[in-house]
Amino acid sequence: MPDPLFVFIAALTLGACCLLVASRNPVTSAMGMILALVGIAAEFFLLDAYFLGVLQVLVYAGAVMVLFLFIIMLLDVQPPGGAYPWKRALAGGAAFLLLSAAAFALLAPEGSLAKAAGPTPPELAANPESYATAAKAFGRSLYTKYMLPLQMAGLLLLLALVGVVTLAKAPKSAD
Amino acid sequence: MESTTLAHHLLLAALVFCAGLTGVLVRRNLLVTYMCLELMLAATMLALVAFSRFNGTMDGAVLVFFVITVAAAEVAVGLALIVALFRRTGAVGSDRLDSLADR
Amino acid sequence: MDAHLLHWILLLPLGSAAACGLLLRRRGAAAGILSIATAFAVAGLALAVLAGLAPGQTLAWQAEIGRLGGVPIRVGYLLDGHAALMLFVVTFVGAWIHLFSWGYMRDDGARGRFFGGLSLFMFAILGIVLADGLLMTFAFWELVGFCSYLLISHYFDTDFAPPAANKAFIANRVGDLGFILGIAMCLATYGAADFASLKAAAAAKPAPALLGFLLLCGFIGKSAQFPLHVWLTDAMAGPTPVSALIHAATMVAAGVFLMARVDFLLAPEVLQLCLWSGAAMAALAGLCALAQTDIKKSLAYSTLAHLGVMGAALGLGRADLALLHMAMHAFFKATLFLGAGSVIHGCHHGQDMLRMGGLASRMRLTFAAFLAATLSNCALPFLAGWYSKDAILEAAHGSSIGAFALLALAAVATCLYSARMIRLVFLGEARSEEARAAHESPWTMTLPLVVLGLGYSIIAGTYLGLPAAAVHVLPKPMAFHLGAASAVGLAALLLGLGALRFYGRSSGDALRDAAPGAYRALERRWMDDAYGWWIDRVQQPAIEVLAFLDLALVNGLAGKVLAGGIPALLGAASRRLFHAGSVRANAAWFTAGAALIAALLLGAL
Repeated sequence: MPDPLFVFIAALTLGACCLLVASRNPVTSAMGMILALVGIAAEFFLLDAYFLGVLQVLVYAGAVMVLFLFIIMLLDVQPPGGAYPWKRALAGGAAFLLLSAAAFALLAPEGSLAKAAGPTPPELAANPESYATAAKAFGRSLYTKYMLPLQMAGLLLLLALVGVVTLAKAPKSAD
Repeated sequence: MESTTLAHHLLLAALVFCAGLTGVLVRRNLLVTYMCLELMLAATMLALVAFSRFNGTMDGAVLVFFVITVAAAEVAVGLALIVALFRRTGAVGSDRLDSLADR
Repeated sequence: MDAHLLHWILLLPLGSAAACGLLLRRRGAAAGILSIATAFAVAGLALAVLAGLAPGQTLAWQAEIGRLGGVPIRVGYLLDGHAALMLFVVTFVGAWIHLFSWGYMRDDGARGRFFGGLSLFMFAILGIVLADGLLMTFAFWELVGFCSYLLISHYFDTDFAPPAANKAFIANRVGDLGFILGIAMCLATYGAADFASLKAAAAAKPAPALLGFLLLCGFIGKSAQFPLHVWLTDAMAGPTPVSALIHAATMVAAGVFLMARVDFLLAPEVLQLCLWSGAAMAALAGLCALAQTDIKKSLAYSTLAHLGVMGAALGLGRADLALLHMAMHAFFKATLFLGAGSVIHGCHHGQDMLRMGGLASRMRLTFAAFLAATLSNCALPFLAGWYSKDAILEAAHGSSIGAFALLALAAVATCLYSARMIRLVFLGEARSEEARAAHESPWTMTLPLVVLGLGYSIIAGTYLGLPAAAVHVLPKPMAFHLGAASAVGLAALLLGLGALRFYGRSSGDALRDAAPGAYRALERRWMDDAYGWWIDRVQQPAIEVLAFLDLALVNGLAGKVLAGGIPALLGAASRRLFHAGSVRANAAWFTAGAALIAALLLGAL
């Protein structure tokens, strides 16, 4: 039986996911998304990835979701009128169950989660080469082994910036 | 904690991924579709961190760092595209984007 | 003496180029002043460095600027005697040509771009001069080619400049392919590409002939040697100062300089090739200059002839003579081009020699400088050109009588076309309204003419006014003695005097009137025709086969039959399924495909 804290966080995350997918109001969806991301950040904490957890909350739940909400408000997206489309919701639920079943089948071929228990986490080592929680270990990895990807990521951000500026420019004349 | 195994984390990641995928498949509002895409990405990050933790190496966690970076760039561009699309068509519904349909 | 000043020499022009190109594009005057000031500052710094350098002393500096996969990337300077001479010529001639450009480009709308290009060129050529290894040389070599392209196409809205720029660039590409293969072969053979290591290694293990030949390819492209010489005459489409600086004085000489730097890598077979192609080109190009009516094209053929002479000197194994001729040629040919520029400026940008005439009395200073440079070009004894050319003739006489005959023919041709040029442009009656209305150019244009023409074209051969550090590698100045070379030289001069009379007979071109067949044969561009034939008859059919294959296989089979045919077979069902035009349907298909692949990979299917 897993840790109760894990069960609680998993339930919270999945509930938030359902809110995101099922709600007709985009703002409600965004709230569900924020909750789900916070739940995943809490998962990161459970996995001793404290730095990533903080980063997740800051970048995703913070910056990215604010951007989403901002766009929702900017475009003034209204929830569609009329009755809730139960048929489609049911189809979606069925699709979710089907997909989950497939994932479960792939994940645990024996069909039992208890059997496919997998390894338990190794002790946290002091060796910086192995898994460590501190931001310092991250920094060391980023600036040694992953130097080139880091530079590429920076370039990518710059390009994204340029691309967004280009896209955001109002077209000079309608063709 | 000791009884929470890798499989539990992976299962959660898979369920979140499937929820996001379902959203992508059934939702019509492009903004919500896009959020669901991000949710799928977050699920894979969760799986990566879990693998990294149980493997005892940093590589997966560092990859997650890059995924977050790339996702941030991607969100910026994607939202700009949605805004540009809205300017053009006046709607954010994906069903309006059918100019490639073979009729 | 450290390398501190060399950094400034190299980087000042880069700064000027950046400022002109990025900030001053619309402020031509400011860009011009900045560029000219930089050129003179660099010339002053270079003189300071050379004055502090004892003859025979070598200044070297090296730094590692990074590592690529464990291989260190080094830059460095190697200022030896050859480089010192080249440094002086490039900076000194370059500075005066910059000043000349101020007057010549006065009415040009794109002066910012022009002066930015000139500064960038100075940076590039100085990089070649100072580089201590083949890799750094190659980097700047390419930059020089790019600057040449940029400046030839300065008048890019004309219909002749862009093709000329393309031609120059492409011809250089062909040569540079050989060059870069040569560098790779150097690295493979000796494991190093810097000159010092190469020299030591080549002393222990002589270089294979192929290596020398590959390096020679770079020289052939950049120095417009046969068979890649075709670009140089077209390159005259650029502004005249560009022709003077790049396509006469410095860039085309960079090839000679490079060969002098790596002469220890050239096998005897390579030297033979260099000797014969150089000597043959010298003679032929000199004769071709007789059949040009455009003053700049005629000078371009003259440059080709002199480059041939330099190539022949290299082939004789006398890199010192080649460099001496390079330096002397830089002085008098820059003057000739600047004089031509002054004439063109005076005649309101007319370049046809047949429409000039009688300019001697209207443009006295220009005429004086042009005459001095012409006499130097004709190797009148005790002028700059005589010292180098006679020495090369003498050396050829001692080693190969065939090459000597070709070079003697070149000397005669030089005197003939020089006399023709003087006669058509400066003497006789004015043959057009523009020539009658010609006026002397402003001082910014005549001052460089006076310094380079009346000064250096005359005295440089006695090594007066050259820095001591630069001349110690050169052979001792000759005393006049009557050998085979001087006999040829005197005969050529007498023939030149005869040509002066001959060309006075006709109001047009006397040779064309007297022997039209020979004139047309010289005027025709045989190599261009040969390349045209190759492209039309050989390359184009081959490309058409490829184009057909592309159309048939890629467009037809893959594009039409496979991508279009399968849905057509499936019929209307495929339209609803695959071509629904719905994002969500596409996503669903994508998911299905991904799931299928995942299942296959995991072995579930």
